[in-house]
Amino acid sequence: MRKNRLPHTAESSARRFGAGMISPTILVLLVMTAYPLLFTLFYSFTDYNLLRNLQKPASFIALGNYTKLLSDAYFRQAILNTVKFTLLAVIFEMLIGFAMALLVNSLTRGQKVMRTLLLLPYLLPTVTVALSWRMMLSPNYGIVNQVMETLNLPVFNWFSDMRTAFGMLLLIDVWQSAPFVFLLLYAALQSVPQTQYEAARIDGAGAVKSLFYVTIPNIKNSLALCALLRTIDSFRLFDKVNLLTGGGPANTTSTITQYLYNYGIKSLDFGFGSAGAIVMTVLVLILSSLYIKRAMG
Amino acid sequence: MKKLVAFLLALVMALSLAACGGNGGSSGGSGDTGSSGGSSGDAGSSAAPTKLTLILRAGTYADVIKECLPAFEAENNVTCEVQELSESDLYSGIALDAINKEGTYDLCMVDGSWMAEFTENGVLANLTELGYALDEDVIPATTAICYVDDQLYLAPYYGNVTVLMYNKANVEAAGYAPDQIRSLDDLLAICKSAQESGKKGFIYRGDNQNNLVVDFLPILLSFGGWVIDEANKPTVNTEEFKAAMNCYLELIATGEAQVKDDLIASVDTGAGTMGIGWPGWYTPTADSTADYIALSGAASAGAEAYNSNVYGIWTIGVPNNSQHKDLGVKLLSYLMDAEVQKGTVPSGGVPCRYSSLQDAEVLAAYPQYEVVCQALESGMYRPVIAEWTQFYTILGTEMDNIVNGVKTVDQGLADAQANLEQLMG
Repeated sequence: MRKNRLPHTAESSARRFGAGMISPTILVLLVMTAYPLLFTLFYSFTDYNLLRNLQKPASFIALGNYTKLLSDAYFRQAILNTVKFTLLAVIFEMLIGFAMALLVNSLTRGQKVMRTLLLLPYLLPTVTVALSWRMMLSPNYGIVNQVMETLNLPVFNWFSDMRTAFGMLLLIDVWQSAPFVFLLLYAALQSVPQTQYEAARIDGAGAVKSLFYVTIPNIKNSLALCALLRTIDSFRLFDKVNLLTGGGPANTTSTITQYLYNYGIKSLDFGFGSAGAIVMTVLVLILSSLYIKRAMG
Repeated sequence: MKKLVAFLLALVMALSLAACGGNGGSSGGSGDTGSSGGSSGDAGSSAAPTKLTLILRAGTYADVIKECLPAFEAENNVTCEVQELSESDLYSGIALDAINKEGTYDLCMVDGSWMAEFTENGVLANLTELGYALDEDVIPATTAICYVDDQLYLAPYYGNVTVLMYNKANVEAAGYAPDQIRSLDDLLAICKSAQESGKKGFIYRGDNQNNLVVDFLPILLSFGGWVIDEANKPTVNTEEFKAAMNCYLELIATGEAQVKDDLIASVDTGAGTMGIGWPGWYTPTADSTADYIALSGAASAGAEAYNSNVYGIWTIGVPNNSQHKDLGVKLLSYLMDAEVQKGTVPSGGVPCRYSSLQDAEVLAAYPQYEVVCQALESGMYRPVIAEWTQFYTILGTEMDNIVNGVKTVDQGLADAQANLEQLMG
């Protein structure tokens, strides 16, 4: 009897100790993550306006914000723009970042210099990037239009023209974020065993076959992680849009976050903004779950 | 070794805590001094200076205030910390601080269009109750939105009012002298002439809804239209609005949308011919390539001339939750002083005062202030409604669709009217 109770007590005590050790982390996570999410969810069912709330408390309006949001054609357009932007940005960033990683990994000399140079765009603050591109693409003194004029090519008002504004935002985002993909995949490439390449070479595999049968299978988890991180980040695109186009021209570059800023945050209608944030979180979770499932499976 | 590392870590932590405690005590001390407000400020130089925090619109508007501060600081034993923000950040900065019981700011710069929302929600202190009154030197029209039920909440500080900014050479090349620009038809003729000679005509700001709406308002006023009626009902689907929109579309077809800095550069270099601007953007001199005039307010030759100058006046007020209201009002009175305001003119200040704008010396050095004074005497504030932010977002979005050809004028304005009616209840 005594023999049976001893291990049980030790196990309980170990469990209690484990729970005690993990509880600060759980507490911090609850305060930092769960509370804001629940707070946002709660306010999404109210007509909470920051200033009006000083005089009149927010009222419960059930699904009023969600109905208004989902019946708004401009919100639906913002969702489409965001999904289109995310898909294109992730595809281009993954392709370019992977190509850069393969190139630098194959270099026998100058890897460090190339690595540093290629990383520079990612190290710049987004505001600096946006303003630098705005200057370069300025219709007045921008170097891009000047070069194009010299070459007798047509010039554009890049951020105000419906034909070019979305493409320019995509280009700038790819330019800035492809180095992030490069960095992660370059690190992953370093861990691929050289013996597998040698074996493939002995078996007569060329560069393309080595890429598809050795390189990619070895780094597929890193590829999935990169795609996941870039998807989440691209989906939340805001600063570049807000600084460069404000969602225009004619809503062609309006993303979900820009819409929420224009119609919720700017006017301090945080109830409406919260509903939008919840819808956005659900969409990100749906998109991310595909990657997470694949990475974990 | 482990014990040594643990000891060192504990020592570092203890020192850090001690350092934090020291700072906390000192800041608490200064806070106490600060909260004694005006009395401490007036107490003389032996007491620690009281800290006042100002939240201002970045640019010339804040620069002219900053240059006045050292004298006030020395005289009143205060130190002033200035936060300079963009328009949208300024709005949210004031609003976010308003929900605190003890506010951070002691003086704030407020756009006229926020007035209704701020006063309805008790954001601003009642200056009349605090003993401040505007004098008769202030241009009366600029004070229109500063009062609620005869109680003063704001003082008009920087006289921003829409003007027509133009390139002198381009206008001359089109065969016009500035005083011959008497209607919107003249504007169109000049812009078309510039376009034919390979330059851009009318430049407008299309980068956000607010700018789109504000740049259009002088044109709308020239057709006798406005965005709301006396009962605050939206009036954007009217014949006047449609006529103004069609005229605007013709005008902007001669140029293109640009951001503010590009617009100024375009008109200055002559790449563009004209655009709606603000005196705070550009200080013309006798040698400058660009200048500005007030719009006549007439749509065509012989048509009725309406008052078409739209105010973008930056007013100053004291937040209701300021911890140093007395000092805040004292600073406001100092900044509004006629002589102090006149002193800001060489740095680009545009006081809403006759004594500055009609002063012979000022006019000799800055002749454009005559135009500004005329525009300020007959300007229009944007609608004083609490929903103005949502209002211009909805209207600007539909105007953006019209300007880019996504919707027709009729369709866009009908949609705007429907959405605005829903907003205004």
